[in-house]
Amino acid sequence: MSGRLAFLYPEIALFVATCVVMVLGLSRTLKARKASAWVAGLGLVAAGVLAMASTPRMGQASCPISGFVYHDGLTPAMGQVVLAEMVPYVKVMIAGIGLLLLLTMAGTVDREDEARIAAGQAVFDPLRSNRAEFYAFVLFSLTGLMLTASADDLIWLFLALELTSLPTYIMVAISTARNRSREAAVKYFFLGALGAAIFLYGFALMYGGTGHTNLNAIAQHFREHGVSTLSMAGVLLAVFGLCFKIAAVPMHFYTPDVYEGAAPQVSGFLAFVPKTAGFVALLLIVGAVGWEYAGHSAGVTSLFAGDGMEPVKHAAGGRQLPELLRLTLWVIAALTMTVGNVLALLQSSVKRVLAYSSIAHSGYMLVGLIAGPVGSTFTTNGVSAILFYLAAYGVMNTGAFAVLAALERGRDAEGHVGEAESFDDLRGLCASRPMLGWVLVVCSLSLLGLPPLLGFFGKLPLFSVGIAAGEIPLVIVLGLNSAIAAYYYLRLAFTPLLDAKDEGSAAIQAAPFKGRAVAAALSAAGVLVLSLAGGWLMTKAAHAGAYYPSAPVKAESAPISDEPAPLPNDVHE
Amino acid sequence: MIGLTSLAQAAYPEPMAGATLAHYLAVSAIMFVLGLIGFLTRRNLIIMFLCTELMFQAAGIALVAFGRYHLNFHGQTFVVFILTVAAAEAAMALALIVLLFRRKESLDARSWEDLKG
Amino acid sequence: MLLAALILIPLLFGVLIAFAPDGRARTLAGLGTTLPLLLGAYVATTFDWTTGERMQLGPMEPAAWMKPLGITLSLGVDSVALLLVLLTLLLGPICVAASATAITTRVRTYYAWLLVLQAAMTGVFCARDLIVFYICFEFTLIPMFVLISLWGSTNRKKAAIKFFLFTFTGSVIALAGLVYVAWYATTTSGGKFAGWTFDIGVLESAARTMSAKQQAFVLLALMAGFAVKVPLFPVHTWLPLAHTEAPTAGSVILAGVLLKLGTYALYRFVLPFVPLAVVEYAPLIALLSIVGILYGGLVCWVQTDVKKLVAYSSVAHLGFCILGMFALNNTGLTGSILYMINHGLSTGALFLLIGMVYERHHTRSMKELGGLAKRMPVWATFMVFFVMASVGLPGLNGFVSEFLCLLGAFQASSAWGSGVWHSLGVQKGATPGDLGPWFAAVAGTGMIVAAMYLLIMVGRVVWGKLVLPHGHGADNHGHGHDVPAADSHATESTGGLPPDLTKREILTLLPLAALCLALGLYPKPVLMALQGPVSRTVSMYDEMLRNPRPGPAVEKSAAAERGAP
Repeated sequence: MSGRLAFLYPEIALFVATCVVMVLGLSRTLKARKASAWVAGLGLVAAGVLAMASTPRMGQASCPISGFVYHDGLTPAMGQVVLAEMVPYVKVMIAGIGLLLLLTMAGTVDREDEARIAAGQAVFDPLRSNRAEFYAFVLFSLTGLMLTASADDLIWLFLALELTSLPTYIMVAISTARNRSREAAVKYFFLGALGAAIFLYGFALMYGGTGHTNLNAIAQHFREHGVSTLSMAGVLLAVFGLCFKIAAVPMHFYTPDVYEGAAPQVSGFLAFVPKTAGFVALLLIVGAVGWEYAGHSAGVTSLFAGDGMEPVKHAAGGRQLPELLRLTLWVIAALTMTVGNVLALLQSSVKRVLAYSSIAHSGYMLVGLIAGPVGSTFTTNGVSAILFYLAAYGVMNTGAFAVLAALERGRDAEGHVGEAESFDDLRGLCASRPMLGWVLVVCSLSLLGLPPLLGFFGKLPLFSVGIAAGEIPLVIVLGLNSAIAAYYYLRLAFTPLLDAKDEGSAAIQAAPFKGRAVAAALSAAGVLVLSLAGGWLMTKAAHAGAYYPSAPVKAESAPISDEPAPLPNDVHE
Repeated sequence: MIGLTSLAQAAYPEPMAGATLAHYLAVSAIMFVLGLIGFLTRRNLIIMFLCTELMFQAAGIALVAFGRYHLNFHGQTFVVFILTVAAAEAAMALALIVLLFRRKESLDARSWEDLKG
Repeated sequence: MLLAALILIPLLFGVLIAFAPDGRARTLAGLGTTLPLLLGAYVATTFDWTTGERMQLGPMEPAAWMKPLGITLSLGVDSVALLLVLLTLLLGPICVAASATAITTRVRTYYAWLLVLQAAMTGVFCARDLIVFYICFEFTLIPMFVLISLWGSTNRKKAAIKFFLFTFTGSVIALAGLVYVAWYATTTSGGKFAGWTFDIGVLESAARTMSAKQQAFVLLALMAGFAVKVPLFPVHTWLPLAHTEAPTAGSVILAGVLLKLGTYALYRFVLPFVPLAVVEYAPLIALLSIVGILYGGLVCWVQTDVKKLVAYSSVAHLGFCILGMFALNNTGLTGSILYMINHGLSTGALFLLIGMVYERHHTRSMKELGGLAKRMPVWATFMVFFVMASVGLPGLNGFVSEFLCLLGAFQASSAWGSGVWHSLGVQKGATPGDLGPWFAAVAGTGMIVAAMYLLIMVGRVVWGKLVLPHGHGADNHGHGHDVPAADSHATESTGGLPPDLTKREILTLLPLAALCLALGLYPKPVLMALQGPVSRTVSMYDEMLRNPRPGPAVEKSAAAERGAP
């Protein structure tokens, strides 16, 4: 029991921190209120450490709901074993990038109130204060994200996804005092509810098709009986619904509006947290379906038939997703990249550009999902590629948004603090605020995928898995899209560096919150360090992406042992 | 365990005996599609929210029907959680809608067009 | 270690300059380029030129970097790469010296990026790992982008963006091709999965076993990337714009080294990786390069902007280089590699000379300049000299390489005339034998065109009636100004410089002139040095054509065709 609970320690730590934060934030003394952010940070650190300590291996107890035994003898108490190694990696990544995001959140809510209290114009009123809720929402959302990674059951997955999303709707609404934040929140919430309804219906059909809600049982069912039409419809609906979370076509429209309406730090949060949740969920669902179906004959690869194209290192059996699923994901991936990049070209607001580019990055990662674990090395495993890219994207993107969050312009007529929004606002940033300017240069060049920065090392495995899986046309689409992206990322990188300051950008000043600048600096440092010595993270990602196609285990036949199971074939480092 | 199984497999009272899985699924699918269409075509925020609720409940019906069909409780368990989440979403939706209504005195989604790209 | 130092010294100095006071920037830049040049000279003495085909001077044990990706930090040069490294190192101090008076704003930024650029270019030639190569190859874009868009002339923003997007798009596609080769190599490592590697040597031997069809796709991908950089005919449009807008040193580096990255990549990857496809498509590529030669030449003829003229002449010259390379024989390939160096020397010098005039008169228009020999005799001497080198006057360097390239093309027929070309009716042995000579003959007319436009340019600008913008020369039209009325009342707007060249300027030109002369009169040492790598590549082709690879992967028809005695 305790061993199983250990699996959830990170979430428990976060939850405890959340409770403390909620109480602390309501304190009458400023010091205690300020401590809430620190407690939140501590909670994340603790969660990260605990996640690092828990390293579930295949066949070991890894999942906490032990009271449940299904009548068919399957127990959900095994964790999601098809992609079992993924969990600790994802949780540590969430904790790390969560810390960066938390730093950017400094002073998001309560700025006016606290200023009035400090000036003696008002007394603290717990009923009016949002601080406690805001930090609690951040932690709740991150808890939900971690739970998503732990999920081994459709019910759990659904709840975890909702826990990830629901707090973000409120975070958007209260992130600024302006009307457009409210509008963004409503837009986000309604489309989010639609997305949730769609993947929920998909889950229902998956259950209908297999008779199980447990992902391992579903995986086993698929491997024994194939994917029935009903289940396939369910999987496809789930994919479409999850497209909302990862901001992929056809559920992407909300992204630019919401990112523009929310405060930049919250937009940065939205670009990482729901996206990661969506990708983890997609990996779980698609992983349950598996990549071992008969080879496809479409596309250029057929030209190479019998030409030595047969990959040597395939998971037993076939080599791809079921054709219908593959095709759907293929179209989604290609459209997502292209739509995101092309529309980003037309924007003048930096936040909108980053929003569209976030759409495009989802498209890139989908290539890894389509390819799947072709082999077990980092360069041939699509799952590892996605996991690495998520971490890389989290760091680079947080850096870019943190820079925006660290800048502001004077108050407008209604007394709202303005944001640095257009490209013109960034002119000459490298001269006026060298640190922030260079962070933006580094992060946008990295997002562009320019070697030798982190983004390039994220894209390289996507290239290689795409090619290894024979998805060469998709890789070409990926390459061309990287080139399209160059146009707007160059603008983002070189407006601060090359353009001279003008009147518009002279009005831009630093926001009075050190945390945001620190987060920006840390992100850029992270990008540089990982660019030069990111090998260890790749090794971790390679392990985390380990795939056990024949993993579903019956409770009776696989007694829980303390011996760690051997790693699958040979995970190369 | 055996008792539970036999209970689940017991025949329904006469009037419902003719209803098969397909009937339930048809109702559920119709509800889902109606909800989807309503969401895409209506512009009143409350109606739009109700449409998503309709879709949630459509999934619920499907789950219960499947649970009965597969003779296990996963479906019904799922539905309990869905109801809880739906309640949470409803609370949040109403809060957001009230927030908006206070500012613009309108529930029409078209009156909110600050964000355009 | 020596090679690593060649890359790291400019890089370190670049960083140093970024933090140094403005006044010290130029001194530091001079130091940061001269030191590598001296070191490079030492490297040249330690290099064993008799076995030039061997990769030398690299660290014995390549250090793994980003191990899960299979990247190793391995360096090494063969004689081709070393010659190009030396060219890069030589142009370094020259560029710094040439910028002394031309660059007056944001001096630190300028020299910092210039040095970073040099480090990246050196890295390209020294890399023995595909990804290290690619990283350096791509990273050259950023400094060049900055150089053009900060210190270029009026249209610089557009030029910089176009330059970046063209080359970046191409090289991303090339990356896909290279990764495909790496993937193929892992699948064919004798059933034993040794892990992913990007070592060029390993990939080279693996890539050759690909089927003709696979090779064709890889060739297409690689050409997409490298042909843009060269630039080959249909994808050359970024070059004239970038050249015209770039500051002088930028143009020199662009013409001298950056274009050579493309040709070097063709030599390093395309020729050894995909021989079957190269044999198949060599005539097509040769055709494109001939179109480039003629088109570039004809466009030059109608140019009035001197810098643009030299830029287009680069398109034509690189056409010769590619023609020689794809002749696939000793003569052509030797000429092609020699051409890379010669073009860097002579065209680089031409851009320097144009920059010197531009600094004085703020125009490059042939309508506003004329008879400069009267005003600037020293400049005129150098101008005539380098134009002659560029035209291919016997006795100067251009002649040797151009002649070898054409000669190679004449003899090229033995390798051509199979596959697609066969199916188009080109018979090997019968008509195809004439194909090469015809190609060479048409390309030869390009030489004549080149002579005409360059000489016309010299005739107008150097001799003839003295014309100066706003000067006391006759018919001063005064339009087409880049710099708006810098000092319209001053009769001699020489920007504070004496009318003719200063000592510094002469010193920047002298080494180039000396090398042009030396390579023209006595090219033998370089030709000997190139013998190793060239005959290694060519013998691979001869071998392949004589004994088509057995096995199912070889395309049946091609095999049958080539097998015929």
